[in-house]
Amino acid sequence: MKDLVRKLTEINSPSGRESRIREVILEELKNSIDGYEVDKLGNLIVWKNGKSDKKVLLDAHMDEIGVVSSFIDDKGFIRIEAIGGISAYNLIGSRITFPESGIEGVVGIEGETPQDVQKNLKELNFDKIFVDIGARSREEAEKLVPLGTFGVYSAEFVDLGRRIVSKAMDDRIGCAVLIETIKMSNPYYKLYGAFSVQEEMGLVGASVVAFNINPDFAIALDVTAWSDTPKGYKRMSIELGKGPAIKIKDNASISDRDIVERLRNVAEKNGIPYQIEILIFGGTDAAAIQRTSSGIPSGTLSIPCRYVHSPHEMIDIEDAENAVRLLKALVEEER
Amino acid sequence: MYLKELTELFGVSGYEKKVREYIREKIKGRVNLIEEDPLGNLIAMKKGRIDKRLLICAHMDEVGFMVSNIEDDGRLSIIPIGGIDPRAIIGKKVIIGEKEIPGIIGFKAIHLQKDEIYEPPKMENIKVDIGVTKKSEAENKVKIGDFVAFSVESKSNERWFSGKALDDRCGCSILMDIIHRDIDLYYDTYFVFSVQEELGLRGAGVSAERIAPDLAIVIETTTSGDNPEFPSDRRSTELGKGPAITFAHSGYVVDERLFRWIINVARENGIPYQIKRRTVGGTDARRIATTLAGIPSAVISIPARYIHSPMSIINLEDYSNTLKLVSILLTKEARL
Repeated sequence: MKDLVRKLTEINSPSGRESRIREVILEELKNSIDGYEVDKLGNLIVWKNGKSDKKVLLDAHMDEIGVVSSFIDDKGFIRIEAIGGISAYNLIGSRITFPESGIEGVVGIEGETPQDVQKNLKELNFDKIFVDIGARSREEAEKLVPLGTFGVYSAEFVDLGRRIVSKAMDDRIGCAVLIETIKMSNPYYKLYGAFSVQEEMGLVGASVVAFNINPDFAIALDVTAWSDTPKGYKRMSIELGKGPAIKIKDNASISDRDIVERLRNVAEKNGIPYQIEILIFGGTDAAAIQRTSSGIPSGTLSIPCRYVHSPHEMIDIEDAENAVRLLKALVEEER
Repeated sequence: MYLKELTELFGVSGYEKKVREYIREKIKGRVNLIEEDPLGNLIAMKKGRIDKRLLICAHMDEVGFMVSNIEDDGRLSIIPIGGIDPRAIIGKKVIIGEKEIPGIIGFKAIHLQKDEIYEPPKMENIKVDIGVTKKSEAENKVKIGDFVAFSVESKSNERWFSGKALDDRCGCSILMDIIHRDIDLYYDTYFVFSVQEELGLRGAGVSAERIAPDLAIVIETTTSGDNPEFPSDRRSTELGKGPAITFAHSGYVVDERLFRWIINVARENGIPYQIKRRTVGGTDARRIATTLAGIPSAVISIPARYIHSPMSIINLEDYSNTLKLVSILLTKEARL
C-alpha cells in the first residue's frame, strides 16, 4: 500500500486543479470497477455493483492545499495567495512547485533590517512573503508562472518504516484507502467511491457528489489531528498507530449514530483496532454530504495524521491498512 | 446603460423590491419569459440557438443598515446589513424605510474626541439623526426593521461614473444592456437578478436550482485597491485595465475551463482584461457551483474603488469592455 500512497502523494494537484490526480486514480481503478463518471465540477465517481439495491458512498477528497500566483514585480518576484488552509509560517523556508509549468521556487520573507525580519516573522502573513523562481525580470517570470498559476509544496515522500511522510497525506491517504477498499471488496451494497474536488476551499465537490447518487448512507475518509507529540492537542486522544478513528464529531458535523455504531461493531467483530475521535476544530466532506437533497446519514472514518497542512504530514501505514480492512468488512456485511 | 437610475434606487439586502420593479419594467417585452421566485430573485430568459441553458447573474441588493431601536431622544440605533467599514459612514446622508425619511449618521464631533480618533467608531455608538427630539416623534416617521440606505446622487462624465451601490448595480446594468442588444445567444440565457448576496449569497442558489443551467457566469463589481497610497503589489484590480477575471475566491476555485475560455475570448477579440489578484470575498458563483449536481461557474467583474461605502467609482471604459466581452461570450459555446 505504501507504493500506492507514494504514487498518489507525489502528484501535484491543488484545489481546482485536480485533473492530474484524477487521471492517476482512474488509471489505478479502471480494471476494478463497473463504471465511472466525471461530474460537472470534476469529481470522479466510480462504482462497483453489489448484491443489494442499497447504495453506500465512500468519499475522499483528491485536492490538496496550495497557493496561486497573484502578482509579479519588476524583478520577477512572485506574490501568492492561499488556496485552502495553508500557513505562511510553514511556507517560510519551503519550496513551491508550479506543476503547470514545472517551475520550482523558494519562499522568502520581506525585511529591511534584521529587526524588521524578526517583526515580520512574528506577525507573518501572505503580504510579507514572496516566491523567488530565480527569474531575472518580470517578463521571464510572467512567461513561466503567469498570474493564476497554481502551486503546491515541493516536498518529497519519505518512508520512515511504519511511519510515512508527505506534503499531501491530506487527503491522498484517504484516496489510497478508498482505492484499496474498492479493489479488494466484494460489496453487498452497491459501492460508490467519490474522489471529490475542492474540499480545502470549503467542501465544494462533496456538496454535489451525493446529489445524483442519493446513497443510503455515506462515509468520508479524511485525516484527523493528533495528540501524541510533545504538548500535542491536549483535549484529544488520537494517536498514530492505534487504528483508524471513528469520528463522533468535529466542528462541521456530528456523525450519524448508526454509522458510528456499525463501524465500531464491525471493527470489534473482526478484531480491527480503532479509536474514537472527537475533533475540536475542522470538518470533512461528511458535513456537505449530510445536507444534500433531503438528507443523507453520514459519518467520517479518519486516519490520524501529524502536522496536517504542513509540507510534511505523517501517518502510520498500519492505520491506513486497518481502515481498508474495516471498510471492506463494512461494505461486505449483509444486512 | 442604466447606472444612474439603478444606483439611485434604494435596495438594501432584503428590500430589493424597487430595484426589481425598475428592472422588470425596463426589460419586459424584450425577453421570452420573466418571473419572480419565492425569495424575490428576478429571472428573465431569452431563447438561444441550442437547447442548453446558461445562467448569468448579478445581484440587486446593496449594503446598508437596518433600524434596530428607537432611542428615547428619537435617534435611531442601526445594525449593518452586509460588510461596512464604520469609519466610512459618519456624517453621511441616509434614507430610511418605505417613506424615504432622510437622516444623518451621527457621531461625536472631532472637537469632543481625544484618543478615540485613533480607533474606528463602534456601531453601538453610531446613531442616525432624523431631526426629531422625542421617541414618539420618531415613531411617526420610522419603525424598527426599516432599511437604512445611503442617499447619494450619482455623477459622471465621459470617463468615470460615481455613485452608491455600484456593487452590484453595475452587473445589473450590464445584464439589462445585453437584454436590450439583440445578441445572437448561443444558449437559452437566463438572466438572474439575485437578492441578498451581501448577507452570504442567500438568493442565487435557489434560482440556479429552478433553472438547472449547464453553466453560469456571475457579473460582479469588485474591489480595486488602486488608491495611490496602496502598494501596487497588493492591489486586487485597477481601474481602466478592463474586466477582471477571477481564478479563485473565498470558497470556490473558478472552473479552470471557463477561466481559460474567458481569457481566450478576450485575447482573440482584443478586449483588455486583468486577472483579479486577491482571493478574499466571495460571489454568488460559490453558491451556484454547489447547486444540484454541480454547475461550472465563472466570475467577471468591473473594478470599483471604495465599494461598500457611500460612494464608489468605476471607469466607464471598463464598463463598456465588460459589456463587450460578455456579449461575445454569450454568442459562443463554452469550452466545457
